[in-house]
Formats: sequence, structure tokens, C-alpha cells
Amino acid sequence: MNLKPTIGIETHIELNTNTKMFCRCKVVDTDEPNISLCPTCIGLPGALPVPNGKAIEYITLLSLATGCTITRKGMFHRKNYFYPDLPKNYQISQFDLPVGESGELEIILDGKKESVEIERVHMEEDTGKSTHSGTGRIDSATSTALDFNRSGVPLVEIVTKPVIQSAKEAVAYIEELRQLSIDLNISEGKLEKGNLRFDANISVAPSDSNELGTKVEIKNMNSLKSLERAIDFEISRQTKAFLDGEEIIQETRHWDEAKELTSSMRSKEGSADYRYFSDPDLPNMILSEMFIEDIKNNLPKLPSEKRNDLMNTGLDLQQANILGKSDTWIIELYFKVFDSTKEYSTTYNWITGELQGQMRKLDMNFPPEWFSAEVLSEIIGLIKENKISFTSGKTILSEVLQKNISVDEIASNHDLYQENNEEKIVELVKNVINDSEDVVRRIKEGEDKLVGFLVGQVIKNSGGSVNPGIAKELLTKELDL
Amino acid sequence: MSDFDIKNIAKLASINLSAEEQEKLTNDLSIILEHVQALSSLELDTNIEDVFIHPLEKELKLVEDIEIDSLTHEEALSNAPESKDGKFVVPPSME
Repeated sequence: MNLKPTIGIETHIELNTNTKMFCRCKVVDTDEPNISLCPTCIGLPGALPVPNGKAIEYITLLSLATGCTITRKGMFHRKNYFYPDLPKNYQISQFDLPVGESGELEIILDGKKESVEIERVHMEEDTGKSTHSGTGRIDSATSTALDFNRSGVPLVEIVTKPVIQSAKEAVAYIEELRQLSIDLNISEGKLEKGNLRFDANISVAPSDSNELGTKVEIKNMNSLKSLERAIDFEISRQTKAFLDGEEIIQETRHWDEAKELTSSMRSKEGSADYRYFSDPDLPNMILSEMFIEDIKNNLPKLPSEKRNDLMNTGLDLQQANILGKSDTWIIELYFKVFDSTKEYSTTYNWITGELQGQMRKLDMNFPPEWFSAEVLSEIIGLIKENKISFTSGKTILSEVLQKNISVDEIASNHDLYQENNEEKIVELVKNVINDSEDVVRRIKEGEDKLVGFLVGQVIKNSGGSVNPGIAKELLTKELDL
Repeated sequence: MSDFDIKNIAKLASINLSAEEQEKLTNDLSIILEHVQALSSLELDTNIEDVFIHPLEKELKLVEDIEIDSLTHEEALSNAPESKDGKFVVPPSME
């Protein structure tokens, strides 16, 4: 029997506001525990929440950017559960009236544009951080230590419809969502810092069935790699269970990165168990037409639009997707160099390959201030005009990244300009032919590959200043090949 | 008659109930539920656009994203029954 997996992803994005969601404590990025707390975010009795306007603006921005319908009359709910990192014993969240509903996000999968349907985008608050101390195993901990710096940090939860069909598609979705949150400037988007956290709901069902199988929620995936592995593992586990006639239990499972498997955490609480009810501390949230229009009018360029702009220069979708997810300065550099060279593919290769590769070697995050689009355009231009070789171009780039010196100066200092005077090259070619009687005879007898040896000799005798292409062309001509 | 599981409700509320308490509360809750059932006989307009669901008619005010002084670290921890290395310490708790 053929089975198909169905995946839905819940992503939490930590917004980069200055202050927390319902109080005005600063959002801090530090290991020093419990330094940014107030009665509201540690749940002291009587403390009242007041929402952060910036966070509401950011979630509206994200909702609009994903094509969601905005809920004009919204509200906050209490989601009740007991856990020490949640001192109020409820999380302020949104239940049936999320800020955004029914959107979609364009993603790039296997070089093609696909779309992932978004069910909802809602606002909530983060919890504190727990550390369990004890003898090693989490279930043998002797105490739990709590840091509430993160308690109350604004979180946006984005839930997809169950429409994702593979681990690869899930990864492409998260990559796109991450890029979107960076481009909208609403989050740092750093996975390693937990700015983006995701859970996956996975089920399997017969391919011809219209109904979904029992869903299992997977938690604790901290990287795109673990997301991919965890989904693949869980699909295999459920497929095997299904084929063996075992019942799949609706539960939450924990991804164990070291063991590369998922294991049962707890049976899943149903929505009713959270006893959602409207938070009496927070009246209705009305988003005015003007507020929404203002945000709509100030939407920055979205990743999908950036990809289209890049494709308009000639790049294919894959290249546009890679470049589009780069830092802004890299994309700007590409457009400037392309404007001057009109060489989209060469410019793309130099920027994504050579430039970034050399910068990595030199441990640079940004190129030096004297490095500009003109410098790279000049190097590409000189290669195109056969004035320098590709290898010399690399040498020049490396040097110009380290020293404030002109391209022409480097080329002259290192004698990198190629000999383009045909007469001089013909003379060099003739000399090589005269000195290599034996090789020439073997070439005439059919050993074509030896032409390469003669090209090498010509370049060597010229001190590296002859373009190999021209040398080969003239050799072929002189040898009547 | 009850159609709820008192044990599950006790678990969600994080309280321990003895057998007698379970029986008593099952009866009490059943009576409360019967009273609440009366609400379902009302004809309610379920169009969210028209009905203001929150009990308060006031509109929510938002604040600017500007920090103000919080509790000091010492103040925040002053009521903690136990603390270590600047963190609140509670009995082991994990799911």
C-alpha cells in the first residue's frame, strides 16, 4: 500500500522589539539570569498586562506579507497550563481570533516555485527558561532552575495548513519564513539563538485517502538539519507502524539529536484541556483601517519580489533564491556590478564564489570600505577583454581585499597584464614549435592532447602573460591542425 | 449524570483529590453544568463581526516600545523560597 505523509509546521518567531510583549522590561540577550523582570512578567498577583504597540505592528506586517486577512476586531485569550517557566499559570495567546488568517508563502523547492498555505498568524508571549540539574538524565533531575529574562518576550506563532509533503519542503518553508522575518526587520532570524523555533505535526495515510492520519507533534528540533532528519525519521516510524497494523497514538514526541530518533514525551493535551478563555485583563484589540493601510504602504521588498528582480537580470530561479537570501550589501553589490558589466552569470559566480570564499578565508564579515562595485566590475571587465587571466583576477581580488590599492597597480606590480600583441605571441609560438620537434611530430601523428603541453610552453616562455585561449588558437593555426 | 472525568480535571488543575472528594465534586460539578445547560436554550447570534465577544466594551490601548525600569535582580528574587546562581530554584519539573 502506498502511503503519503502530511506535515504542518508551527513556527514561533521571537520579535526584535526593545521591550517585552505585555510589560516594558527590556528584552535582553545575556546569560546573566533574572535581570530584566517586573511584576507583570513574573506573574505577581495584581500586575496588569498592556500590549506593546510595536509588536502588534510587526505581527500585522508579517500577516500582510504572507497575504493573510487581518482580523480587525481581535482579542487575547488565556491558555491555561501549569509549568514552572510560566509563572502566571497561563500564557497570553490568541485563540479563535488571530491577527492574521488564510495566507500563503511562496517557497522554492527543487528549483520550482511552490506555495505553502498559512492557516493563522497569532500573537503570544514567550516563557522563561528552565534548566534541570541532577545526575545527567533529564528524568532524574533533583531541581529545576528558572531564568525569567525571556518570560514575556513577544512571540508570533505561524501555523501552516497540513499541506507540506516532505522534510525538504519543510526546510524550504522555514528558510523562506526566516528570510521574510529578516527582510521585514521584525526578527534577528537566528536559529542558533532560538529566534525561530519550530514544531512539526506529522501524519501518514493511504495515498488514495482523503482523510489525514493521526497526527504526532515533534518538538526539540533546533536546526534545519534536525528538522529534516526528525521529519524523515518520524515518517519512516509511522509508515512502519501503519504497515504493521499498529495504532498510531496522538502524542508529542521529542527529537533526540544524538540518537537521531523521536521518543514519546506525553500524550497530547487537547485544545479543550487548555481551557482557553478571553483574558479579562485585555479588552478587545481593534486594528483600524488606517493602521493597517499605513503598514501595507510601508511593506519593504519581499523575498519573492527580490527573487523576481534578480531573475530579471538573467539569473535562474535557483541562483536568484540563493542570492536573494544573502545579506543586503551582497545583493546591492550584485546589482551594481551587473549594471556595469551586464554579465549576470559571471557577476553571480564572482560574488557568490570567489568574493565570499576569499572573505571567509580572510575571516571578514564585510569587505573593506575601499572595496566597491567598481573594483569588482573592473576585474571582471579585464578578464572579459582578455587583458588578465581568470587566475590573475583571483589574485587581484585577494590583494584588493587586504590592501587599499588600485586594480591597475596590482596588475602592473605583479606583471599580470596579458600579451595581446598577436605578432609577439606568434613569435613565441613559432619558437616553441621549433624547439619541440618530437612533440610536434607526435601531435601530427594524432596525439592531440599534446597541444596542451605546447600551450603551457608558450605561457611559460611569456612569463605567464599570454592568454591560454589565444596561445592555443595560434598554435593550432601554425601547426595546420 | 456527569459526562466528564473528574480525575482529568483534577490533573489539569494540578490538585490531588481523595476518593470522597472526587465523588462530592463530581456531584457538585454536575449540578453546576445542569444550570449552565440553560444557556444553550437561548438563541445566540454567532456572527463574530456583529457580536462583541469580550465582556469589556473598552478598547485596548497599546504602549510604546520604550523600556522603563524593572525590578532589580535582588528585588525579583527576594520572595523566592530558594535560589541559586541568580536563578529561582523549584522542585524538579519536566514533561
